[in-house]
Amino acid sequence: MPEFSPTQVAVPLFVVAILAEMIWSRQRNPEAYEPTDTLVSLTFGLGSTIAGALFGGFALSIFIAAYEYRLFDFGEEWWAVWWAWPLAFVLDDLKYYWVHRAGHRIRWMWAAHVNHHSSQHYNLSTALRQTWTGSFTFGLLFALPLVFAGFHPAMLAFVGGFNLVYQFWIHTEAINKMPRWFEAVMNTPSHHRVHHATNPRYLDRNYAGVFIVWDKMFGTFEPERDDETIRYGIIKQLGSFNLLWSVFHEWIGMLGDIWHAPWRYKLSYLLREPGWSHDGSRDTSDAIRARWLQRQKSAAGSDKKVADQNPIADTTEPA
Amino acid sequence: MTDMMQFWMFAGSLATILALFALARGMKLGGKPSIDGEDTAKSIADQVEDGFEANRVSISRKRDAALLRESAGRIMVIKRHGGHFAGRILTSRASAHEEVDAIVVDPGSAEKQFGPVRLSLDDAASWADAINRL
Repeated sequence: MPEFSPTQVAVPLFVVAILAEMIWSRQRNPEAYEPTDTLVSLTFGLGSTIAGALFGGFALSIFIAAYEYRLFDFGEEWWAVWWAWPLAFVLDDLKYYWVHRAGHRIRWMWAAHVNHHSSQHYNLSTALRQTWTGSFTFGLLFALPLVFAGFHPAMLAFVGGFNLVYQFWIHTEAINKMPRWFEAVMNTPSHHRVHHATNPRYLDRNYAGVFIVWDKMFGTFEPERDDETIRYGIIKQLGSFNLLWSVFHEWIGMLGDIWHAPWRYKLSYLLREPGWSHDGSRDTSDAIRARWLQRQKSAAGSDKKVADQNPIADTTEPA
Repeated sequence: MTDMMQFWMFAGSLATILALFALARGMKLGGKPSIDGEDTAKSIADQVEDGFEANRVSISRKRDAALLRESAGRIMVIKRHGGHFAGRILTSRASAHEEVDAIVVDPGSAEKQFGPVRLSLDDAASWADAINRL
């Protein structure tokens, strides 16, 4: 199998696309970009490739060892089994959905993934805002079933690379909606804007990588609404462009919480959802959404009461 | 890939990043939003913490920061951050001191990266007092 990395080959295209989006931004929406934010996001991208080169070898060695215990064997020339490629791509995307969902629902995983969300902007440079610390989570475990199933680690790395390249273009406000059939099946800028939103309605929704059908299957899909302006970023916006703080803030916060928590709660600060606290002093995304929904219901209820008290015309009599 | 090739790839990537940053600045991308009234300040506060209902609002003269207080006594500081706003609910670790015609709000050591916020206000003294009593 020839050596080929989809993400490395795509880098020049990324640069050209960012340039094109900057020109669009200048003409249509100058606020879509913020130079310092872009600098931080792009440096995240460069740093993540270095971190991957430094620490990615551990995951690779685990996968190569696991491959020896595969249940099915595609043979010596596994790369020549044509149907294995699309199958691997689809199954890898299903794996991506779950590892991504874990990345939002388990604080240990969130500590690494939060970087991708900490920009208050949403543009193509945000796509390159990739983690430096993913190797220090247990994300690799999600890929092991595929390796045990017989997919070679190189094949998985290849289709995973294409998955990431696909996800680049959906980080934009320059595209509103794609054709309906496309929106129904594929992850799109519209679906992914929802994922990056901090509006209570949109929190922890649309985890998909390439196929949005996983969110529809597993109950996490939320369509973008035209009547609600999206706010991007994280619940507690950083308020800082410090690169190292952006990389490590959640790790520092999590380790501090574990250190200070009573013994019986320490593991919960590692494995429970972001925002969870043993004394209930903080909010999880579920709590924020529930409170928001409650307020919406109360507001709707009081509107109804006012309407009942001030009828335009008695319904029993003609006006 | 040889070490030398890797070095040049790194150097090329870094140069491209700096070029894009310079270009974004040169194209004057980004914005400087301002807090143009109490409603805007309240709306930003609601974004910082969903459901925050301020009953007292003071906006800095530069319109780049504000202090808001709920009836329950919670105080929030918001500041312009790039093209958006960021804010913090102040805790007992926060402090404030007055300068000539202004107040400097420090959200506390745990918020070092958020940093202190300087607001030029008419009612700086009462805000400083309220923050220091949290």
